[in-house]
Amino acid sequence: MKVCRRSFLSLVIGGAAGTTLSPLPWKLMDDSSIWTQMWPWTPVPEDGEVSYVNTVCSLCPGGCGLTVRKINERAIKIEGMKAYPVNDGGVCLLGLSGLQLLYGPTRVKTPLKRVGARGEGRWEKISWEDAISEVVKKLADLRAKGLSHTVGCISDSDRGTVAHLLGRFLTVYGSPNFIRTPSMQDSYEQTMHLMHGVQASAGFDVENADFILSFGSGLIDGWGSPVRMFKVNSALKGKGKLVQVEPRLSNTAAKSDKWIPIKPGTEAALALGLAHVIIKESLYNRDFVNNYSFGFNDWTDDRGRSHKGFKKLVLDEYGPDDVAEITGISDSTIIALARSFARASKPLAVCGRGQGNTPGGLSEFMAVHALNALVGNINKKGGVWAVPDPDYIRWPEVEMDINAAKGMQANRIDGAGGKTYPDSRYLLNRFPEAVNSGKEYPMKALFVVGANPVYTIPDSKAVKEAFDKIPFVVSFSSYMDETAANADLILPNHVFLERYEDVPMPAGLQKPIVGFSKPVVKPQFNTRHVGDVIIQIAKSFGGVIADAFPWDNYEACLQKTLGNKWNALNKEGFWLDSNFMAKGWKRAFSTPSGKFEFFSRAFAAKNENLFQQFRPVEPEGDEGRFPLILIPYDYMRLASGCIGDPPFAIKTVEDTVLKGDDILVEVNPKSGRGFREGDQAILSTPKGAVKVRVHLFDGIMPGLVAMPRGLGHTAYDEYLADKGINFNELIGPVEDPASGLDAAWGIRAKLTRA
Amino acid sequence: MKEEHKHGKASKFGMVIDLDKCTGCGSCMVACMSENNVPFKKDETNKLDSITWLRIYKLTNGKKFPETDICYIPRPCMQCEGDHGHSPCVSVCPATATDYNHETGIVSQIYTRCFGCRYCMAACPYHARYFNWWDPVWPDGMEKYLSPNVSPRMRGVVEKCSFCFHRYQLAKNKAYAQGRRELKEDEYQTACTQACPAGAITFGDLNNSHHAVYKLVKPDNKHGGRPRNPNAFRLLERLGTNPKVYYLSSREWVRRAGDNYIKDEVKKEHH
Amino acid sequence: MSTLDEKAKEASTEAVDEVETVLPPKEKKQDNGPWGYIILFFIIGFAASLVIGWGIFPKLLYSQKKQPIDFNHVIHVEAVEEGCESCHFFREDGSFSGVPKLVQCVDCHEEVMGEDPNEVKFVEEYVAKGQEVPWLVYSKQPDCVFFSHIAHVKMGKIECDTCHGHIGESTHSRVYEENRFTGYSRDIWGKNIAGLKKNTWDRMKMDDCAECHAENKAVPKTVERLPWPISWMPRPYEKPTSSQVRTQIDKDACFVCHK
Repeated sequence: MKVCRRSFLSLVIGGAAGTTLSPLPWKLMDDSSIWTQMWPWTPVPEDGEVSYVNTVCSLCPGGCGLTVRKINERAIKIEGMKAYPVNDGGVCLLGLSGLQLLYGPTRVKTPLKRVGARGEGRWEKISWEDAISEVVKKLADLRAKGLSHTVGCISDSDRGTVAHLLGRFLTVYGSPNFIRTPSMQDSYEQTMHLMHGVQASAGFDVENADFILSFGSGLIDGWGSPVRMFKVNSALKGKGKLVQVEPRLSNTAAKSDKWIPIKPGTEAALALGLAHVIIKESLYNRDFVNNYSFGFNDWTDDRGRSHKGFKKLVLDEYGPDDVAEITGISDSTIIALARSFARASKPLAVCGRGQGNTPGGLSEFMAVHALNALVGNINKKGGVWAVPDPDYIRWPEVEMDINAAKGMQANRIDGAGGKTYPDSRYLLNRFPEAVNSGKEYPMKALFVVGANPVYTIPDSKAVKEAFDKIPFVVSFSSYMDETAANADLILPNHVFLERYEDVPMPAGLQKPIVGFSKPVVKPQFNTRHVGDVIIQIAKSFGGVIADAFPWDNYEACLQKTLGNKWNALNKEGFWLDSNFMAKGWKRAFSTPSGKFEFFSRAFAAKNENLFQQFRPVEPEGDEGRFPLILIPYDYMRLASGCIGDPPFAIKTVEDTVLKGDDILVEVNPKSGRGFREGDQAILSTPKGAVKVRVHLFDGIMPGLVAMPRGLGHTAYDEYLADKGINFNELIGPVEDPASGLDAAWGIRAKLTRA
Repeated sequence: MKEEHKHGKASKFGMVIDLDKCTGCGSCMVACMSENNVPFKKDETNKLDSITWLRIYKLTNGKKFPETDICYIPRPCMQCEGDHGHSPCVSVCPATATDYNHETGIVSQIYTRCFGCRYCMAACPYHARYFNWWDPVWPDGMEKYLSPNVSPRMRGVVEKCSFCFHRYQLAKNKAYAQGRRELKEDEYQTACTQACPAGAITFGDLNNSHHAVYKLVKPDNKHGGRPRNPNAFRLLERLGTNPKVYYLSSREWVRRAGDNYIKDEVKKEHH
Repeated sequence: MSTLDEKAKEASTEAVDEVETVLPPKEKKQDNGPWGYIILFFIIGFAASLVIGWGIFPKLLYSQKKQPIDFNHVIHVEAVEEGCESCHFFREDGSFSGVPKLVQCVDCHEEVMGEDPNEVKFVEEYVAKGQEVPWLVYSKQPDCVFFSHIAHVKMGKIECDTCHGHIGESTHSRVYEENRFTGYSRDIWGKNIAGLKKNTWDRMKMDDCAECHAENKAVPKTVERLPWPISWMPRPYEKPTSSQVRTQIDKDACFVCHK
């Protein structure tokens, strides 16, 4: 038999006919459509039982309640906790992106030890036991040499059990160098200390105020507890007024009832000018000023020297004309503003620029606070309250051995509480300079907990240099941030969704509240609670150091500390002293005079008079070389604190802020002559020069350049790293002569063609 | 079915956004992204290919310093009803991948049916639709937070805001478990509404006079749902898309910007 | 166009010429020679492809997988009080629990209760280790499908076996056949490779949903009972005419079942 071509064709045709009559083509067609509609590489999220876990957010000082939706063991969505006193169901975009931090690629998954050069990114995985014994060995060695005071710790907070454990450890170990990262809280605490004579934070009863006068505070740009402030702003509509004094049309300014542009850095003068009008027109609260204040009228000190009172001072030197000259605001506006402020039934003046992540000049804070005093809105409904720290942490006094006692007597490296700045508690802005100059003593070891100073502290170059000078840097960061990347050892903490922790006092709240973080999911990696690690380090020392930590682990410590509050916290997620009322005027002030002090008597002894001659904090740089002034701005979509923007958050950033990897700086078309929208330019300041793009924006005062904070990360993941410029590279701290705090609000700058 | 509508059984879910309260903070955008498994990529600054079902636009009044003013305007899918369900995108879809649901008034988008011709994107006057130019990639481990209620999309399909339709489905399930068919107002709320820290977004049934959305805008349902509240407006009202997202603003320039038109254009009056 | 046509003509004449020249003259003369072979080969080809398509192809298309544990539904149904819902229950939020998790099984099977080797295996390998059993789900739908059990079972009063068949009467677990191409179970397309079905539970494709919904349209009471005013289901392979569009979009949305 010979198979010819025709037979072959016939076979094929027969095959084709048979195939069409078989299910093969039809079934394959159906299957291939299913296959192409459901590619095997498109993830299919597993379904299961839905559950909800309540916890408290600690990504920023806002302390919002969160409800996390879970499917089986997976956390799939973060929502705001309903009826939580701070945020009542609302939630900001950083909190909403929390799961990207939990499951994200920036997590440090196990203890790491540096093997390459600092910041090179070469690490070796080590066990927890090895990591802890390495720390203990180093610290024991320093202590034996009598150098315990050369060990420091930078933390984002000095409240709550974790901060207390750190502080306690440093104390029994023998170092005074516990440093909290700076914020407006520093300035407000000092204001409270000097004017009220108390150790307290400033709480703002914004819910009950009907006229909020904000001196550059980004009330809806992330100031205080952001979600709470959004709610207040919405509630204010139609019921009260918000006046924003600021050189740039921020979101807060845009939403306010009146935006008053001001020459940057002259806010204190405006406050005193308003005081002038209020006093001159007798619009102040007589009862408060006459009966509960000191320093309003001229006074004589113990040594018989006479001093000008607040009244005489502002009447003499801060007339509307003078202030108009300084601030650039017309005198009629000043007079009208003063009148409407004083005549409102619950007026409230606040300050702290932007999100309040930087402190400011003490004179500015005190001048603004004096306005509240003039209208008698201190410790009153709708006013400013002195809120003491919640006092639930009552641990036995520590016993110090001779080494510890000696170490504790050393001066602090940052000079806080020393001769020059006796009223300051922490001055991290002075830390880089102190380390670099080596004037006090060389720092030998540094712990960093919940902070990212390499990124957040001004003058990045100096900060980096200081870190390079410290031979042993330990980071407890959960993420590979800039500080962790420049550390020698990383002991990764659980992220907030994996751990127990008390979260006391959201920023700016007027009632004492303690929030409670609890694990939503099991720890995803080989991480450990920083509280546990501190306890374990202490126990490894033995002796008095170990004795100061009588708890088996952090959870036991927390449970013991919270005592009968533990159950309530576990159930409700927070503990609130709802009966709390700020002390009445009769008992509120513990100043030497027992009254509210317009001038601190103690302070006046050395620093004549804070308001005597108002001198604006001058920005660094020569006006001739740098004709413009660069100011930073904060906004919600860019996290500028120790946590960097997760992918979702950075995705929301507009293309007028970030384009590709280029940052855009805002310039008024008047000062940006010759530049078109999106043009490349070189922005230089005395601290450095960077490449930027220009965004022409009418909402900024001519003569200024504004740059957002929160960009220019070098660490974290590819979604954030190397995008834009870190503002801190372009600015250095300017020391406030009264407090030593960083009072810089801007720096001279120049914009040239790229 | 038509009779059912006449009996008022059908809902018409809509949204009212108070632009006086909106702070442009971006919570709604992120709430939406995390609720709906929206992917992200390394560079999201090209806003034409950056998938944001809900996007906040920034308007300026164009005046010089210090008269300048800005306003944020969040833009979800408008769920246009057009002329009886004849919304711009639905009528051009050759694949029936998007359609108008008279039961809820929501415009659906079925990813597995879409073949990516993008006619709907061209038809949508609000740029509310986005194309997946790439397959979504979640960094290793991050796919753990994906929600099973919304299926992740693949390369080559169009996606858009669904008014969190899956939440409607889940709320219905819950109601059934309790033996009910009707949903209460607070049982079905979109993720953005729930998250908005300023309380600027209100969501509910525009056909139900007890719902807050109805009370806020007082829609004239006989005339294409035009708002009777003088502060309320809809985007590009004159196009007759009959959108279900209303905005409130006390500022006139914002309301005018909402119905943007070319200078010499003759404005068509609706009756 | 004209040039194209000419080219086509040229090509066809060439082909004819070729056939004529190639055919050997000898074969032309044979009576039934070439046609016999041609028919024979046609039949061979036809038969072979039928065998491949109907017999071999389904075997190649599906891989056979055994369930990790051979499960006896009968014993369990006898032991529980509320039938299917004892183990496959609705949660408080109206979601359907589906295949039971280990936690539920442990309620009874903390220790080995009987003598069945499958139970011993279950307790030793899964309960003792706290590991979930990787059951293979016969009725698992693609991710794009949203199906509300409660709408059908509680509100629509549809029995489980309408879609799932009499699985409660099985004493052994069937072999799970997985489509090598799509990864889904054979039960979706149906056991019958031609896609034919006798019972409502024989297939679980979209057409089967549509069929039931269309049928229920004819019975007004059922329509009223249904949670959605469903009477129309788009037929996936047809594009409706423009007059149909109006009526169709009046009725329902793909969204109801697709996510």
